[in-house]
This record gives sequence, structure tokens and C-alpha cells, in this order.
Amino acid sequence: MKNLGLITPCYTADTSGVCSMLYELGGMVVVHDASGCNSTYTTHDEPRWTVKKSMIYISAFTELDAIMGNDEKLISDICAAAADQKPKFIAVCGSPMPMMTGVDFDAIASEIRIRTGLPTMGLHTTGTHSYIDGASEALLEYVKLFISYSADKIPGSVNILGATPLDFGLNTSISSIRDWLAENGFTVNAVFAMDSQPEDLLNAGKAEANLVISQTGYAAAEYMRRQFGIPYLCGVPIGRGYALYLAEQLRKIIQKSSAKPFRRASGGDTILIGEGIQSVSIANALALDKQTNAHVICPLPVTETMLSACDRQLYAEEDIQTELHADTVKTVIADPLYRPLIPANVKLIELPHFAFSGRCYADRIPDLINRNTEEYFA
Amino acid sequence: MIKLAIYGKGGIGKSTCTANLAAAFATLGKRVIQIGCDPKADSTINLLGGSPVTPVMNWLREHDDEPDSIEDISKIGFRNILCIETGGPTPGLGCAGRGIITTFKLLEELELFAKYQPDVVLYDVLGDVVCGGFAAPIREGYAEKVLIVTSGEKMALYAANNIGNAVNNFEDRSYATVRGIIMNRRNVENEEEKVRSFADSAGYPIIADIPRSADITKYEDMGKTVIEGDPECETSKRFLTLAKQLIAEDT
Repeated sequence: MKNLGLITPCYTADTSGVCSMLYELGGMVVVHDASGCNSTYTTHDEPRWTVKKSMIYISAFTELDAIMGNDEKLISDICAAAADQKPKFIAVCGSPMPMMTGVDFDAIASEIRIRTGLPTMGLHTTGTHSYIDGASEALLEYVKLFISYSADKIPGSVNILGATPLDFGLNTSISSIRDWLAENGFTVNAVFAMDSQPEDLLNAGKAEANLVISQTGYAAAEYMRRQFGIPYLCGVPIGRGYALYLAEQLRKIIQKSSAKPFRRASGGDTILIGEGIQSVSIANALALDKQTNAHVICPLPVTETMLSACDRQLYAEEDIQTELHADTVKTVIADPLYRPLIPANVKLIELPHFAFSGRCYADRIPDLINRNTEEYFA
Repeated sequence: MIKLAIYGKGGIGKSTCTANLAAAFATLGKRVIQIGCDPKADSTINLLGGSPVTPVMNWLREHDDEPDSIEDISKIGFRNILCIETGGPTPGLGCAGRGIITTFKLLEELELFAKYQPDVVLYDVLGDVVCGGFAAPIREGYAEKVLIVTSGEKMALYAANNIGNAVNNFEDRSYATVRGIIMNRRNVENEEEKVRSFADSAGYPIIADIPRSADITKYEDMGKTVIEGDPECETSKRFLTLAKQLIAEDT
């Protein structure tokens, strides 16, 4: 029973990742799933639910629909709702039941596109993978549908990829990243996908660089590099020293020079648990601002090159627990729900992660962008 | 009550054997239900003069609701045999196995056995035990014995072996057990020897030997079982003998 969480919860699922990434983009998102658990996708995993409107729907999948493979009912319901709601696009994604019956979401999306004339995307969520997979695929498909190459670049402009409340909560972090970019002379172009104007999103192809602030933005960044020649940099400008370093690297890639990843294999007595790009960025910030060596345990999908030799990608609770019980570990920086895995003599610095503990500690998610973090990590 | 599930390779003659066995039981005065568990829904057609019953899945699809009575989803055939077909989803979509489970649940809700009081229930199941749905007929409360139909053809014996293994896998679950093999001859070389060799190695008796007969095709073309068409012919006698044996075992 590897990867079984006996004490800790699992990260929120791919379906929630889709809903979160597409929440503000003006589309209609339909999760093909049984009715009754709608709030899992929205209220539990979506802090914007009470403050911003979005067209998130559940298909109310029944046992009979599963047996019959009643795609027509789903398609006609979506087409009817689209005629009423007039979304900019339609995304259809799956859950465990459609996975078991092999529903073809690409074909369904294609039929909806033909009938409505709207851009559509069929997303391959199953409810059994992490939010990273769903959000990542959703953003990639959005970029494929709506963003095109532009030779007409906006000088110094940067897109931010991978912004969702699942990784940053609903605090000031994203606006702080905008401020940090502006302070360093960059023009903030599109932010995928929080607090961005529709015209900025559609101009994403005019950016000179992409800043990937979570793994959810990586696939789209890589696609835009290959298709449009837009270079990207992965990192979150946490702390002072690393924020400066990241700004320098961003300038370099805009000037067509290669960026140098800061991460070094350093070991140390501190362990960070969390989303890969954010955790590595915190580790870098600790190294520069506090001269503290930390290594990362990433329990989520992450691009391997993000991690150094001392970092670990561990999905199994028992493996994480083993790592945390090493004699060398003195401090753990992680979501409070990891506390039961941490030995009593090891200090826990709480760093709530919305995709892990949801609303439990949402008001305690810090904004660590471009500011002194010594006190927080003291 | 005799409750039998008939399995075997696709095209081996399961429906022919099941319908003839049902007709034999009915001829011997038994009250019989035959439930076809195949999306093709052609198990009972020769008990119904070639005029098929509406499969349960078709009914659900057309009405988007469950039927109120057994009569909605059944038809009375030869010698009052109650014929039911699960049917299935549109080919290539949905989940046929789940459809069988749902049909069984529905039949329970409609109190099929309590209302019809059958002496014999026959489940004619599609090909192999490919998933949980196709194992539903052998779950506790449904069939108690499994008859495997095979010829001496290699692939038919291969499928028979798979079916036997699948049934044996459930021995701790109070599921049905294999009662024996119906050898449905295709006149392949050394047919009896091949089937007997398999049966001996698997530990199953050959409980019926059905000759290859033009009569079967002749009467099926007329929408009949051979029992209905010519109860005195050799093929009919074999089915009647099998039915008598199974009745004797049950008493």
C-alpha cells in the first residue's frame, strides 16, 4: 500500500486544479461527475467562490449515464448551458467514474466545439492525480487555444505562469510579485491566472519572458518556449536576496543569455515540504538571507531539474516520515497538517499550503515576496 | 430452485444451449426464467418465435427511468418461459458489466423471483468473465452452478479454461461452482478426446454431448429451439436428458 496517507491528507485533486486555473478566464468548466460533491471543487478548494463569479458546473453524472455511456446527454446539457451563459470557451474534464468507463473527453470536446462554435478543451483528469496535473493541463490547453506567436514584443514584459490560490492562497502574494517585477523595471503582462485583464491574457504572446511561479505553469511555459520562442525562468521572488537574484536572471533571459539556476546541493538541518518551485525558492531565500541550508521534500509532480541532489521527490507518507526522522533534521518548514509526521524534538515552522490543508489555515498563508523573511523563518 | 449460469467462448453456442435447456426444463413442466446477460441481447430470441423482448438497458435508455413492473422488461416465450435480456449500452460506450449488475438489482427490486416463483433460472452470459459485471451471475444469490459450453476447438477450450479459473478464484466467496461441461460439437478432429482431456485435467465432468446438427440451424431460422421444432430428434433428447439430470440433482 505505497503512497497511502494514514495520518496526512492528500493534496487536492486534478479536477480542482482545472477549476482553479480556469476560474477567472471566462470559460465554462464542466466536471463530469456525480452531483452531491460539487463543493469539493469549488468552496473547499476555491477561496474566490464567495467573491468572484465563475462558470464551474458539475454534470450530475448518474449510474445510468455511466452504464449507457450517455455522452449525448452531457453534450446537449453543456450546449444548452453555453447558449445561456455565453462562455468564452468550454472545458470538460473527468473524475473517477468516467475514468472507469473510459469516457473520451477529446471527442466530447470536439462535438461541443462543432455544435457551439466555441473553443473547447477536453481535459484528462481522473480525480486521482494531484492538482498540479489538472491545473497544468488546463493552462497548457488554454495557451494552445488562445495564445499565438507575436513578433511585436512589449519591451521588458513578463508573463507570470502558475498563479492559483491553491499554491498562493488569497493573500497579497500575487500582487507583490507584480510589484516586484515593476520595481525591477519589468512590465507585467499576463498573469495566469489571477487578477489579469482579458486583453493582457490574449497578449501573452507579446511577452519577452515567462516567470513560472509554480509547477502548474511549467508545461505552458515550455510550450511557449518551443512554439513562440519565449524564454522562461522558474522561481518565486521570496526574501530579499533571492528576489534580487531572480530579477537579474530574468534580465539575462530577456537579453537572450542563459539563466543560472541558483539551487545547490547543500544538505543542512532544515527540510522544506511543499510544491516544488515554491519550496526550492524558499530554500534559495534561506540560503541567501539566513545562510541556512535547507533541502526540499516535494510530494508533488515537479520538473526534475528544479531539484538538487539533496532534494527528494517523495510521494509516500512513510518515506517522508523516514526522511523527517533523520538525526540531522532540526527544523521542518511545512503545512501544519504535516506535524504528526515530525518528531517532537524537531521544530516546525508552519507554512500553510491551500492545496493541502484547504481553509484550515488559509488566513495564515504568508506573503513572503521580496521582503525580509528572517522573522518568519526564525 | 435450479439456478444455472452458462458461460463459454463467444460464438460457441451458449445461447443455443441455454435456450434449448430452458425449453427442455419447460417441456418437463418446470417454470423457467431465462436471463440473457449479453449486450447483443439475442439469448432468448429462439424462445420468442424470433420476436425479441425489449432489453432492460433499452428500456432504461428510452424512458430515462426504471420500469414499474416485470412485464415492462420481459416477454413470455415457449411454454411460458419468462424471457429477459439485460442488453447493454451503445457499442463502444459506457459500461456493459455495470449494466448487468444494475439489471440484477432492478430485478431484485421488482421482486422477480417472489412474483414469478420459478423452478429454474438460467443466466446466459457473454463470453468470458471479463470484469465484475460479467461475474455478477455467479455471485451469491444468483446462479449456484456454472455450465461451460465448449467444442474441441483450441480457442474454445482456452476460453473454457479461463472461465473455470475465474470461477475457481471465487471459491472463498460462496459463488457458484462449475458443475460441468456441455460439449457442443463442431466436428473437429479428435473432438471428444480433446474436450475430455481438458475436462479431466480441470476436474469437470462432461455432462452433455450435443451433436452437430442441421436441425439446430433449421429451427433457429424459424425462430425456434430444436426442442420446440422437433422434441423427438436426437439433439432434443440430449437436452432433455441433461435437464432431467439437473432436476434429479436438485431434488
